[in-house]
Amino acid sequence: MSVVTLQESRPAGERYRAAFDARWSTSDALVELRRAALERFAAAGFPTQRQEDWKYTNLRRLEARTFAPATSTAVALGAHEQHWIANAGIRIVLVNGHWMPALSSVGAQLPGMTLLTLKQWAEHDPAAVAALLEQSARPQPGALEDLNLAFFEDGVLLDLAAGAAPDQPIYIVHQWSDAAAQLMSNPRVIVRAAPNSRCTLIEHFVGGAAGECFTNAVTEIDVAAGARVEHYRIQQESQRAFHIGHVNARVQQGGHYSSHDIALGASLARLNLGTVLQGPGAHVDLYGLFAPVASQHLDSHTTIDHAAPHTTSVENYRGIAAERGRGVFNGKVIVRPDAQKTDAQQSSRNLLLAAGAEIDTKPELEIYADDVKCSHGATTGQLDATALFYLRSRGLDEAAARGLLIRAFAESIVSSIGTPAVRDHLEKLLDERYGMSS
Amino acid sequence: MSMLKIPMLKIDGLHVRAGDKQVLNGVSLEVGAGEVHAIMGPNGSGKSTLVQVLAGREGYEVTAGSVSYQGRDLLALPPEERAREGVFLAFQYPVEIPGVNNVYLLKAGLNAVRKHRGLPELDAFEFLALVREKMKLMHMDESFLNRGVNEGFSGGEKKRNEILQMAVLEPTLALLDETDSGLDIDALRVVANGVNSLRRQDRAIVMVTHYQRLLEYIEPDRVHVLSGGRILKSGDKSLALELEKRGYDWVKQEAAAA
Repeated sequence: MSVVTLQESRPAGERYRAAFDARWSTSDALVELRRAALERFAAAGFPTQRQEDWKYTNLRRLEARTFAPATSTAVALGAHEQHWIANAGIRIVLVNGHWMPALSSVGAQLPGMTLLTLKQWAEHDPAAVAALLEQSARPQPGALEDLNLAFFEDGVLLDLAAGAAPDQPIYIVHQWSDAAAQLMSNPRVIVRAAPNSRCTLIEHFVGGAAGECFTNAVTEIDVAAGARVEHYRIQQESQRAFHIGHVNARVQQGGHYSSHDIALGASLARLNLGTVLQGPGAHVDLYGLFAPVASQHLDSHTTIDHAAPHTTSVENYRGIAAERGRGVFNGKVIVRPDAQKTDAQQSSRNLLLAAGAEIDTKPELEIYADDVKCSHGATTGQLDATALFYLRSRGLDEAAARGLLIRAFAESIVSSIGTPAVRDHLEKLLDERYGMSS
Repeated sequence: MSMLKIPMLKIDGLHVRAGDKQVLNGVSLEVGAGEVHAIMGPNGSGKSTLVQVLAGREGYEVTAGSVSYQGRDLLALPPEERAREGVFLAFQYPVEIPGVNNVYLLKAGLNAVRKHRGLPELDAFEFLALVREKMKLMHMDESFLNRGVNEGFSGGEKKRNEILQMAVLEPTLALLDETDSGLDIDALRVVANGVNSLRRQDRAIVMVTHYQRLLEYIEPDRVHVLSGGRILKSGDKSLALELEKRGYDWVKQEAAAA
């Protein structure tokens, strides 16, 4: 294995360039777009803690490893469905970043809704996919978004026609195959919700217990005037995994975007969640729960950019860190000079369950308009000893009492979940994590 | 009369420290089944400390003495074991726990106690029927059930909720810590009626209070004056009336002279 060691001493850009050349030898508009992204990534490299946005999260462990682009493999249904949320909606399963029709709902087209996989489309018309990607990506992507663009194998395009309102959520499972190790997956999901359409999108990241894997997922969401998109992102990959997520949502006049960012899995996870409110009446709700245990490091980095007047946002994040777990919340709120009458509320509450646990929370307000209402609050504390005694004095044992108080702490996030299948699933995960039997 | 009567609760020379402060300096007290005892005394006399130590609150150090409950060493048990063995503390300041459902706590507590006693757990239907009956007793409407534990309750509602929990859990030894404080006369009557309805031959009640007022509604068998961490004087209910008239200083002087 001395060859591998030699390779890994090279800069990440060179290593991934070699992987790129091995993967894409042809040339078309899409490959050219990929190559440009690769060169931007190679020039920038992995972010470092010297960059303010990465102050609390060290990517050296991720950078030191080389992950191979995962190719499509045949998979059996039985091995995978145990991870899925039952009855969550129209299911699309990506295994190692590749869409698996055999695992997905059949005939899954509802009126006013178009679902396409990027791989199939790119095989027929790479230029059209390149154009879509250029148009849907945010103007100045970060280095790891470029890495995704260079290497994405597959993804999902969800188009909603004006006024369309599918009666079921779109449930996208991002799953590692059972034996996956030293692989990377760069799925890309693009949602375009036309005026007055509405939909619920669930993204569920699971698997990766066999070996170290690297998920680098991008989700681009355009919410047109009067449209509503409810987005659930549940990250529960194996505690060996590396997980980087990028969600970019743009909301036009009167549009609503709501996000539930649930981070329970991975060894090292980071979500960059950026929203821009681009028209009057646009509204964003960002809910989040990160709950590191063992030596997990879970980082949620959010930005709400009020770029138009009369826009509103509510942000409510909860962090629960146990054992040597480390959590990070960064909530940037920007109010542009002409975004008068903006109303932005932010709350970050955190619970430390052990002396070795740590949570860093950082509100970042950049306000350039004068007639605005912006509030923020951040707290970090421990379980209330009096409440613990109260519950035990009623006959509950210590573990049950602690579990109950931890669940109570998470309740404002859990109860804000409007899709019952997702709420039930999260309740189950939290009960397992904190040793609650009922 | 042939059987030797073992007291339900026997406190013997109890010394307790909180931090570097000695709070109890040798409390001795016996409470028999079926009895109601009132512990009175000035602020800071150690009344609340005594009942909290009995319920198992952490943060106190027992430096000497013993507490036996039904013949067992009470102080060796964690709080939940004491609760399951039938000890109940009605808190002076019931804790607000948003996110934990009131009915959930009642059910979890009752089933923990029943399981410990070898009784089957109640199903949802049986449980609700029981709780509805007890709520009627406490003049509480059903909206209380689905609120967070004590969340946004008024002072009187919190105290009624404590006695509701007591009625549901059916303790053997009930410790009431200033259950009368902060109650108007109507609420006091409801709470006192609730407590009185729970008086039984096999149940003992120890009430901590500042005022004689509560004892007009819940008549005690014995009254004790706790001051400076010791019981200075014990008597029947007439002692409470005397304390109301004369205050506590004469008891202290009497004890100092003895």
